[in-house]
Amino acid sequence: MLTLADAGFAKAPALTPFSDCLIPGELLAIVGPNGAGKSTLLSLLSGYRRPDEGSVCLDGTPLHRWDSAALARRRALVAQTLTLGFDWPVRELVALGSEASPADVDEALDLLDLQAFAERGALGLSGGEAQRVMIARALCQLGLGHSTEDSPGRVLLLDEPTSALDIGQQQRLMRLLRRLAQEHRLAIACVLHDLNLAARYAHRVWLLERGRRIAAGAPHEVLDGRTLARVFEAELVACRQADGSPLVLLAP
Amino acid sequence: MSRAAALPQRRIAAASGRHGGVFPPARVLLILSLAVLGALLVAAMSGSAGLSPRVLLGEWPTPLAWKVWWQLRLPRLLLAALVGAMLAGSGAAMQGLFRNPLADPTLLGLASGAGLAVALWIVLLDGAAGSYGLYGQFLAGFLGALGVCVLVFALGQRQQGQEALFTLLLAGLAINTLAGAMGGVMAFIASDEQLRQLSLWGMGSLSHALWSATLGALIGIPPALWWLLRCARGLDLLQLGELTAHAAGLDAPRLKRRVVLATALGVGLCVALAGIIGFLGLLVPHCLRLWLGPGHRLLLPASMLGGALLLIVADTLARTLASPAEIPVGLLTSLLGGPYFLWLLLKRRVPC
Repeated sequence: MLTLADAGFAKAPALTPFSDCLIPGELLAIVGPNGAGKSTLLSLLSGYRRPDEGSVCLDGTPLHRWDSAALARRRALVAQTLTLGFDWPVRELVALGSEASPADVDEALDLLDLQAFAERGALGLSGGEAQRVMIARALCQLGLGHSTEDSPGRVLLLDEPTSALDIGQQQRLMRLLRRLAQEHRLAIACVLHDLNLAARYAHRVWLLERGRRIAAGAPHEVLDGRTLARVFEAELVACRQADGSPLVLLAP
Repeated sequence: MSRAAALPQRRIAAASGRHGGVFPPARVLLILSLAVLGALLVAAMSGSAGLSPRVLLGEWPTPLAWKVWWQLRLPRLLLAALVGAMLAGSGAAMQGLFRNPLADPTLLGLASGAGLAVALWIVLLDGAAGSYGLYGQFLAGFLGALGVCVLVFALGQRQQGQEALFTLLLAGLAINTLAGAMGGVMAFIASDEQLRQLSLWGMGSLSHALWSATLGALIGIPPALWWLLRCARGLDLLQLGELTAHAAGLDAPRLKRRVVLATALGVGLCVALAGIIGFLGLLVPHCLRLWLGPGHRLLLPASMLGGALLLIVADTLARTLASPAEIPVGLLTSLLGGPYFLWLLLKRRVPC
């Protein structure tokens, strides 16, 4: 399990220390205005940056003490955009960073509905396709095809995976993430801009404001209209849908 | 379609794809190695003193022919192979490091930085006169290349994507211009003997390769090549972007240090020994990437072999085209590579 123990970051963009953890099987949404520290938090969670205070631990061991290869099999990251210098074939790209066999790669491609693109160059893909390729790659890195009941919990971190997608692709992607979390006991943390996607698909939401985590909990607890209006400096109303999940709208 | 039926089809698709399916990696490297060997054989026979294949049986026409071959032609051939391999290999590695197909030791100013350092060494410190002249020249080349490498790298780190490319190319332009001007100053204040040394070295020629120079290359270049080869997996991972690559287990700062050091060592040596030989580092990896795909585990060794092949051929042409006179081989590669680079820029819409 990935835990933050009073972990904070002092240099800009700063993050005030707090403690919490990512729970296997749970899809966590990290929301907040631009510059609130979402990306800093994600880089702390992946171990790219080391916290100035406190610690970020996986199974009780601080991330920087982990062997990098062993850690790579336990947590993977999907960046916001795919910036390639060269035209990699999708199949090779998906296999990058893992010892995945061709069958594993095929499985990941199937899971993300990418078989049609397998032999194509990744530079010709649309934003949504490229995003799916990067998720497939991350799943290969985590060795999801080989997970068993008692394999240790793994962590998948995503930075705004829906920003380049149309509304249908957004929905399919969020459904897939939620399913992956549940079926593979994956702890997923996902930076999201779209509050309604967070409301509909996340199990839990962290709300960040100016480097502080000001709220955490189930979507209907955190995504409160008045708080959001203040944090985002926007005129918003949050309604309640039939199933109780919040729906955030621009005020008329 | 069931999974079992779909699999063979995928394999066929992979085999007919342009990304190397047709040639398994081992065979590609074998073909290139054989081509290098063949070129070495042909090059060893041809020149202003042509030799028949009978010499392989030990039938040298005159003792002088053997002496010329052993003392002049053989070290020169070996030097051509090593310098070609180093320049093309470091081109491929730098392109991977900058994630950019236009990175090249000459374009980014590495070679001219090394060249300037060598010129300073020859003129200001009168280094060529001393008994350790050649080794001082190596060191000067290495330090010059390293300095430019670090500078260019610091500049390239500050931006992303297209902007970084412009900054890098402009920095390369500035460094090349500056080094050219400083080189001019050095030539201006040089004594007659130093001037001769400078111009002998500066045209990009392998013609003064003797065993002393080739031995330096034999000692310095193979470790640099080996070092670069060991960076292949890291360079592959780096293509994912630094944050993702870190999460996939890459120690990016270490990889960068390694590539920068190996490149500076290798390119510095090459420049110190053979002057500035342009465009090899751009041309060879680019052509091979179209053929083999961008994976560095195949691209790096293939580029090294391809660079060796190209420079052996170019040097043989330089020796024989205007025989008994000689065209500096750096001139030849620039004449070939310059138009190719322009064509590359013209047709470039997506990164190639």
